[in-house]
Amino acid sequence: MDQKLIEFAGLLRENGIRVSLAETLDAVEACQRVGLGDRESVYAALRCTMVKRASDAEAFDRLFAFFFSGLGEIIKQAGQAVQRELELSERELQELIDRLAKLLAERGDELSALARELLSEDSARLEERIREAAKQIRRLFPGEADGAYRFRLRLAEAIDLRALERERAKILQAVDESRHDPLTRARMAHYVERRFNALEDILRRFAAGETGEEARRERNVQGLSEKSFHYMTEEELDRIREAVTRLAQRLKNAASLRRHNSRRGRFDAKKTLRRSLRWGGVPFDLRFDKRKKDKPQIVVLCDVSDSVRSVARFMLQLVYSLQDLYWRVRSFIFVADLAEVTHNFRANDVGRAIDLALNGSVLNVYAHSNFGRAFRIFVENYAGIVNKKTTVVVLGDGRNNYNLPGDQFLGEIRRRAKQVFWFNPEGRATWGFGDSEMERYALQCDVVEECRNLNQLYRVVDRLVAR
Amino acid sequence: MFASIEDVITRFATHGYIASRRLATVVYLATGMKKPVLVEGPAGVGKTELAKVLALAVELPLVRLQCYEGLDEGKALYEWEYAKQLLYTQILKDKIGDVLRDTSTLAGAVERIAREDAVFFSERFILPRPLLKAISSDRPTVLLVDEIDKADQEFEAFLLEVLSDFQVTVPELGTLKANHIPLVVLTSNNARELSDALKRRCLHLYVDFPDRDQELAIIGAKAPEARRELAEEVVSVVQSLRKLDLKKTPGISETLDWIKALTLLNIESLDHELVSETFDAIVKYEGDVRRAQEQLKEYLRGARARRGQGSDRDLLN
Repeated sequence: MDQKLIEFAGLLRENGIRVSLAETLDAVEACQRVGLGDRESVYAALRCTMVKRASDAEAFDRLFAFFFSGLGEIIKQAGQAVQRELELSERELQELIDRLAKLLAERGDELSALARELLSEDSARLEERIREAAKQIRRLFPGEADGAYRFRLRLAEAIDLRALERERAKILQAVDESRHDPLTRARMAHYVERRFNALEDILRRFAAGETGEEARRERNVQGLSEKSFHYMTEEELDRIREAVTRLAQRLKNAASLRRHNSRRGRFDAKKTLRRSLRWGGVPFDLRFDKRKKDKPQIVVLCDVSDSVRSVARFMLQLVYSLQDLYWRVRSFIFVADLAEVTHNFRANDVGRAIDLALNGSVLNVYAHSNFGRAFRIFVENYAGIVNKKTTVVVLGDGRNNYNLPGDQFLGEIRRRAKQVFWFNPEGRATWGFGDSEMERYALQCDVVEECRNLNQLYRVVDRLVAR
Repeated sequence: MFASIEDVITRFATHGYIASRRLATVVYLATGMKKPVLVEGPAGVGKTELAKVLALAVELPLVRLQCYEGLDEGKALYEWEYAKQLLYTQILKDKIGDVLRDTSTLAGAVERIAREDAVFFSERFILPRPLLKAISSDRPTVLLVDEIDKADQEFEAFLLEVLSDFQVTVPELGTLKANHIPLVVLTSNNARELSDALKRRCLHLYVDFPDRDQELAIIGAKAPEARRELAEEVVSVVQSLRKLDLKKTPGISETLDWIKALTLLNIESLDHELVSETFDAIVKYEGDVRRAQEQLKEYLRGARARRGQGSDRDLLN
């Protein structure tokens, strides 16, 4: 059993679930304690010792079902598949099998044991036979238990699949020559075909399972964190949304921690002594000097045009959490026009706020983006809110549709602000090509970062918090 | 502590906690392997309750540490009772004068005082907080660390040290080792991802909302005065509410509050005009209340249609 558990831990690791050695040991001990009698208990024991993240639970369930299904389960599943395909109830199927057996007995053809087991659905015998064959192969050809393909060939050889092929033809002929009505004959033929094919299927799955090859196929090929937002499926986007929520929480933690640490300054001996005069010089009341808190002011300008639509939601989600976090955040969205959404975000919950921002009720989101114009509008109307304490964050791809770049307006913003950050959801390699004015804008920014996958988003947030 | 998994289920049931087999397995393992349990899940599914019931079931005292942002060692482990120390020095001024009478130099006086300082840094002046209480207790305890996700990361790291060695170092006193290893239950609402190191040390238990039958059983155990038909209706509505995207999804505690409120008002069926006024028990935000009311209307319409169908058929027969 230990060996099996270690293999299972390896399988989990290959599928991206981190299982430490200590946890594997725990799993072994847990299994010993609950015993192996009850599948549900073993499942609970392994799950509580090996999976520590709720997000891994689904993968664990799948792998558990796969790994601990065993040969019996595979055979059972194959049988059920055949039944489903023939669209027969259990009783009808049994009837069909009985009639087939009778037919073959009447003809007096001698069937091999394997064919009899296969056609009469004798799973227990079949399982035993295959296991026996596997054991033999391991003994005779110790090196070949590694590759699924060769293992399967050896298995087929050991149970004499070729002889079975010949028998198949014979049985089909017998069915064809019988005096049953055409429908029954067709069903019988179909059943025989499916059962024989199922054996191959069983062998393939068994071999794959024994050699661990199937497990490797199950592995998630690409981690989400390096995948570009643009190429994500709907399901992946959901998972990212969760990640962004966690990210916002992290942002909050970091900020509150800093606030907490700065709450108390150093011990202030002078003030403490002065206070102690009240109690005859006994320093009952300790005094600390107060640190001046640096309240960050943030102005966010978020591009919501068509070209960044897939990213815009995360960006806005991030903006929303920023606003949640710092009191003095002003949020703006722009395409060709620019509009403030601070109020909007404060009054509504996150999903609704983002919907409102993107549905075109605040500004025309179907226009062609015009960064230059948006910056000019900002400088003309909102220049007053930017001062030397303000961090200006621009989220956008810098694709200006060949309009006037207006980078002097961005320069004007930077002169007034403490710093300007630009986070771009486009790959760095494409900046400056086509209608991208990124290189021009980059000159007017303190920090320019690419932000097209989750890892980069993390980095960006770290950057924001660090300042 | 527990003889078997079934033992956990029955003993929890006597204290009114309906434990699923999975939950019982984890509890059984945790008591057997002496490992902390980390319970995660949405709010209101009975995570804290689990620790309380565990304490009752094994008949050990419960020590609770509620975590919050900014919780530090001083609040969790121990603090010197500074004011008491000062008070003692004031009261003992004469005595100190006696001690210092025959010293002539300042250095000599300091030396003399230093010899006595163990008096002021003794266990008498230590104020034990939950962690130290759990460790230094004469009998084993159940230690509940509630909402660990609300505490800062630094605290988590510190907790890790305590949970792995079950000993605490107080610089002035030396190392205090646990007489008994407490049963530790940590709960988390997943407000932030906990560190892997902490998770590795714990058995992990994810508690989700109960299914229909479980929830009915829980109502049966916790609010036995409620009528069965009403309970079934309530559970149907609550289960459908959980499928909506509400700001705060109702937990088991909300279901119980609601059914108790309804029973108290002598309401026999959800088809009653007072029902919408008791909605505060189950949904806590203005927007949620509106959506929940729509859901209830829909449910009642469906229920009426079903009942109508039933009576029609009766007529036909």
